[in-house]
Amino acid sequence: MNAEDLDTVYTDLCRAMTAVGEAQAPILLARFALLAIVEIADAGRLRRLIAAAAEDLAEATGKRES
Amino acid sequence: MADASAPRTGRAFAPYPFVPERFPAALPPLRDGVDRSRHRVAIVGAGPVGYCVAIGLAVQGIDSVLIEADDSVCAGSRAICISRRSLEIIDRLGALPGFLATGLPWTGGRSFYREREVLRFTMPNDANQRLPPMLNLAQYHIEQILLERARELSDRIDLRWQTRLTGLEPHADGVRARLATPLGDYALEADWLVATDGGRSVVRESLGLALTGTNYEGRYVIVDVAMPSDRPTERLAFFDPPCNPGSTVLVHKQPQDVWRIDYQLRRDEDAEAAVRPENVLPRVESLLAMIGETAAWAPIWISLYRANALTLERYRHGRVLFAGDAAHLVPIFGVRGANSGIDDADNLAWKLAAVLQGLATDRLLDSYSEERVAAAKENLRHGTKSTEFMAPPSFAFEWMRTAVLGLAVRHESVRSLINPRQTSPIAYTGSSLSRAVESSADFAAGPAPGSVLVEAPLGPRTPSPRAADGHGAYLTQLLGSHFTLLHFSKGGTLPADLGGLDAEMRGLGIRWHTVLIDPGTDDASATLAARYDAANGASYLVRPDGHVLARWRRCAAKDVRLAVARVLDRIGAHGGGG
Ligand SMILES: Cc1cc2nc3c(=O)[nH]c(=O)nc-3n(C[C@H](O)[C@H](O)[C@H](O)COP(=O)(O)OP(=O)(O)OC[C@H]3O[C@@H](n4cnc5c(N)ncnc54)[C@H](O)[C@@H]3O)c2cc1C
Repeated sequence: MNAEDLDTVYTDLCRAMTAVGEAQAPILLARFALLAIVEIADAGRLRRLIAAAAEDLAEATGKRES
Repeated sequence: MADASAPRTGRAFAPYPFVPERFPAALPPLRDGVDRSRHRVAIVGAGPVGYCVAIGLAVQGIDSVLIEADDSVCAGSRAICISRRSLEIIDRLGALPGFLATGLPWTGGRSFYREREVLRFTMPNDANQRLPPMLNLAQYHIEQILLERARELSDRIDLRWQTRLTGLEPHADGVRARLATPLGDYALEADWLVATDGGRSVVRESLGLALTGTNYEGRYVIVDVAMPSDRPTERLAFFDPPCNPGSTVLVHKQPQDVWRIDYQLRRDEDAEAAVRPENVLPRVESLLAMIGETAAWAPIWISLYRANALTLERYRHGRVLFAGDAAHLVPIFGVRGANSGIDDADNLAWKLAAVLQGLATDRLLDSYSEERVAAAKENLRHGTKSTEFMAPPSFAFEWMRTAVLGLAVRHESVRSLINPRQTSPIAYTGSSLSRAVESSADFAAGPAPGSVLVEAPLGPRTPSPRAADGHGAYLTQLLGSHFTLLHFSKGGTLPADLGGLDAEMRGLGIRWHTVLIDPGTDDASATLAARYDAANGASYLVRPDGHVLARWRRCAAKDVRLAVARVLDRIGAHGGGG
C-alpha cells in the first residue's frame, strides 16, 4: 500500500468513527480489528501486531504531570 | 489583533524589521464623477495575487488599473512559505532576484511527539533543480518586491492607493465599479474586472456569490517574535510537547531574525483570552526554553487563525474573474494560500491578454475557471488532509493521530501520515485545452500534457536568452510570456517547416519562441532528452504558464498551427487546420 492509499483509508476510518459517535467508536474499532484479524489470518503476525499496539501504550498516550 | 502596548507580563513588543512606505490617495481626471478613461482591465486588491495579475498582464503588453484599499503593503503575520512553482512564476514576472536576495531557502523539516523525533521529511529536491523547494519570507516582503516590480512597469500599471471598491455593476461588455477614496468617490468603467480583493471579497459579495465548503473549529494562535538565532531554516512541528501539553506547535524561521510560532488552542479555551499577551508569552517562553533558545526575544504580532476549505464554483462570472483568496480559501497547513493564488494569476494573465489582443475568443477564459477550480479542489483535498492532522476536527481524528504519533517512534510504516503534505505543482489533467489537441500517447517519460515542465539543466550550446552568459541555464528559464516549442533534433537543425513558425506566429501577434535542443552536443542535453523521452524529432509545446499543451514524437508545422488555433479558439480565424 502506498502513502496515498494509507492516507485515504486512514481518513475513511476516521470518518466512519466520527459518524457513529464517540460512544460507539470503540465498538466500531473492535469490529474492524476482528475483520482485519480474519483477513490477515496469520496467528504469529497477529500476535506481534497485538503486542506492538500494546507496547508503550501508557507511555505514548498516558497523561503526564505538568 | 496586534497589541503594541506593553503587556502585563512586562515583555515589550518589538516592531517588525520592516517599515512600509505609505502612499497617498489620488483622483484620476473625472467627468461627471466617472474616471475619464475607460480601462481595459481593473484589478481590485493589491495583495500578492493582484500584483501578479497586473505584472503578468504588463509583461504581455496589457495596461491595467490596480485598486488598493490600503495605503501600504500588508502588515502582520500572513504567508511566509513560497514554493518553487511560485518562484518560477515570479521569475517570469521579472521579480525573482528580490525574492532570492531576501528569502531563506529550505528543503525539509522534523516532527516530534512529546520528547521524541517521529518524522524527518524532505520536499522533492535534486541536482536538476535551479530553485529551492521552498523559500521563507514575510508577506510584506513578498508584496514589497512585487510592488517594486509593478513600479518599474508603471507605464502599464496604474496603481491607486487608498481606493476602496464599494459596489459593482456588471454589464454584458464590462463593469462599472464604485470607488471610495479620502479625496472623494468616483466610478470607474472597465472591459474586464479581476477580483483579487482577498477572503472578504467585496466583489464577490456585490455579485451575490458565496464560497462553499468547510469551516474548521480548530484554532491556532499565530505569533511572530524577534529573536536572533543560528538555528537552520526548516519546519519544526511539536505534537503534545512537554512545554505545552495537549497542544501542537509549529516553528518557522523568517528573514531578519523573525520567527513564526503557531500553536493550537484547546477546545475549551476562550479565543479572546487566548490572544492576550499574558496568556501567549509564557507559552512562547516555555517553547523557546524547550528547544534551547536562550537569546533575548520579543513578541511582534499576535493573531488568531481558524482553517477554512472553501471555494467558488466558478471563477468567471461574465466580465468578472476571481483569483486568489477572493476565489478560494485553503487552510494554511501545507502553505497553499498565496501559492495557489500566484498560480491563478499565472493561468489568467496570458489568457486575458490573448482575449484583449484579439488573438483568442473569450471562451479561453472559461478554461481559466475550469483549470483553476479543478486545481483549487485538489488543493483543498490536500489542505483538508493536512488540517485534519494539525487540527483534528473530531475525537476520531484525535484518537487516530494519537495512535499514529505513538506508533511512529518504532514503526516507520505509519510516518508518512505525519508528513505535512506541502504544496506541489498541480497538473491540469483532463483540461479541455489539453484535450483539444492530439498528443502522441507513447511517451515513456517527461511531463504529460497539462503538467508543468520538469526542471533540468541545459547544455552550454542551447541558446538561453535569459541566462546572463548562456551558462548555467535551466529549462524553465526558456519560458517567458510566450508559447515555447521545444524541438529535439540530432545534428542541431530545425526541419524547414518548423523553422518558419517563429516568424509566422509573431506575424499573427502570438508571442512565440522555438528552441532547438540537440541531444548529441553534450551530457546535459542528452540527459534532458532522455528524461523527456524525446527521441530525434520529438517536440513539446509549452503554454506561457509553463504547462505542457501537447507533445509529439514527430510534428509538422501544421500540427503546431492546429494546436494553437484550437487553444486560442480561432479555428475560423485563420484556417488553423492548415
Ligand atoms: C497566518 C497565516 C499564514 C499563512 N501562511 C501562508 C504561507 O506560508 N504560504 C501561502 O502560500 N499562503 C499562506 N497564507 C495565505 C495567504 O496569506 C493568502 O492566501 C494570500 O494573502 C492571498 O492573497 P490575495 O492577494 O488573494 O489576497 P490578500 O493578500 O488578502 O490581498 C487582498 C488585497 O485586497 C485589498 N482589498 C480588500 N478589499 C478591497 C476593496 N473593497 N477595494 C480595494 N481593495 C481591497 C486588501 O487591502 C489587500 O491588499 C497564510 C495566511 C495566514 C493568515
